[in-house]
Amino acid sequence: MTARMAYRCWLTVLVALMGLGFAAWVYQLSEGLGVTGLNNVNSWGLYIIAFMYFVGLSAGGLIVVAAAQLTGTEQFRPLSRVAVILSGAAIVLAALFVIPDLGRPDRIYNLVTSGQFYSPLVWDVFVICTYLVIAGVDLWLLTRPRESVRALTVMALIALPVAVLVHSVTAWIFGLVVARPFWNTPLLAPLFISSALVSGLALLLVVTLILRRLTVLRVEKEVLDSLGKLMAWFIAVDLFLLFAEVLTTVASNVSDHKDQVMSLLNGELAIFFWPEVILGGLVPFAIFALPQTRRNNGLLGLAGALAVVGILFKRLNIMMASMNLPLIQLAPGQSFGRFVEPGGRFWLRLGEYTPTWVEWSIAAGIVAFGALLVTLGVRYLVMQRMPTPVVRSAGAVAPGGPAA
Amino acid sequence: MAENGKKKWGLAIDLDRCLGCWTCAVACKEENNVPMGMWWNRILTQGGDGLDQPKGEFPYLEMNYLPLNCQHCEDPPCEKVCPTRATYKRDEDGIVLIDYNKCIGCRYCMAACPYGVRVFNWENPQRIPDFDYGLVEGRPRGVVEKCTLCVHRVDEGLEPACVVACPAHARIFGDLNDPESDISVAVRERGGERLLEDKGTNPQTFYLRRRRKRPL
Repeated sequence: MTARMAYRCWLTVLVALMGLGFAAWVYQLSEGLGVTGLNNVNSWGLYIIAFMYFVGLSAGGLIVVAAAQLTGTEQFRPLSRVAVILSGAAIVLAALFVIPDLGRPDRIYNLVTSGQFYSPLVWDVFVICTYLVIAGVDLWLLTRPRESVRALTVMALIALPVAVLVHSVTAWIFGLVVARPFWNTPLLAPLFISSALVSGLALLLVVTLILRRLTVLRVEKEVLDSLGKLMAWFIAVDLFLLFAEVLTTVASNVSDHKDQVMSLLNGELAIFFWPEVILGGLVPFAIFALPQTRRNNGLLGLAGALAVVGILFKRLNIMMASMNLPLIQLAPGQSFGRFVEPGGRFWLRLGEYTPTWVEWSIAAGIVAFGALLVTLGVRYLVMQRMPTPVVRSAGAVAPGGPAA
Repeated sequence: MAENGKKKWGLAIDLDRCLGCWTCAVACKEENNVPMGMWWNRILTQGGDGLDQPKGEFPYLEMNYLPLNCQHCEDPPCEKVCPTRATYKRDEDGIVLIDYNKCIGCRYCMAACPYGVRVFNWENPQRIPDFDYGLVEGRPRGVVEKCTLCVHRVDEGLEPACVVACPAHARIFGDLNDPESDISVAVRERGGERLLEDKGTNPQTFYLRRRRKRPL
């Protein structure tokens, strides 16, 4: 298969997935959110988990570009455009994931016309919009014929605090809720920032490795090595914060969210928690920390992918541990929320949630849209403006222009 | 009377009198046109894992009932998180209400309510019999709803349906700002307690503790 055909196939798959997702969303609009696995106890599920996750994924790009700009680190410069495209796409996806979660998306303008200042959700709308604008301006600056160092430095000075705010405010959507003691901890915002850095940078690393293989993008070994080292630091901090949280809670007999933490350690969420810690944390940390493994591109990519998936599990755990265990758990519990035929299950004392095909399809469609944005962004904003395309191997680049 | 003559409607529930019969819950459903699959008012069992199940080993069994509906908090967490001001606290009497025309169905309030008393219209409301009942207009699909303290009755000088329906007179409705009202007297004399006091929500719903152990 030629590169061009592979590229076409890739685009076709993405467009097909987007079609599936859109069809599923239309079905959900016509039937209501009853077609999801959500209920009155697990009132948030896959959509909001994905929202958290993609806000986090948006961290890598802008922070790397901004930090590199401010510290004068030249080595990351070749990655800037890819990084900003990834950040922008991730934040677009985060915003998109909120839409199917709404019961009345037709009234979304109420967020502006009737917005309430106290709601962290409204703060997040503003911060995410700002972030999106910054990503756009950065991308524009980076793709102009002559890069303006001054403008990029100013943007970096704005982007860094806004990036910190995006992750903090998203954390506070959950962290300021007194009804959810598992979320209601001052550690949540720092934890969201560290997790965002891990997943965002890991995504940048994985995409860089893929582009390096499939396209003419040139990335020096030293840059990959530096990214790997940074990853080791970020994962270490993230694991440390998680450990501090778990230790403090487990050591106490009066902690108000011990049940939630125990459900992660040896309860029903353990099948997600331990992979998160070991496969998504300790294993990639070891690969990134040891020079021998870090310099192997295959292992580097594997570690990056593990970290990207590990943080997804972390977001899932943060949501489910809290939603599954409401404060009042007396029998018979909360109503399921739908009409149930006589004899059917009607009450839920504790949470139970499995996403349905509708949720998976919509999620797949949105993710495919993101992949399309990144693919087209890389093709038209990165590849076509490469200073001197170097053909790495015959067939890797189709004639007439670089193909993915 | 309190400053500027404002009322503070509240509910006191006498746990000594509650039989766990669910009459208040059914009356609420009928009055407020609550569709199948959801309840604004439920009678929880404090005891074993199931409805009407005691805990412990015979003969040392123990069981209590805890009627639960919107607590109409003085500091409602649901109101603070609502991004569109759909949930609001009525200034003149402290009833927490939802503007069903403003609600975008984000369900942030459901995550934020410590009491788990909010329900969402996951699908088109279904009723048996297949028509609207009660005096309250049905809510559309995709919005959150909950107990309104029967605001349509209260505004006409009537008591909420659950209060009137209770066969054991376990529910007392009244103005918490009036120290002479039945509810204020009961809360004062019986030492009314509020649910999840440590969450700082200051509910306008009080529970009057059981004074004697009920033989099972």
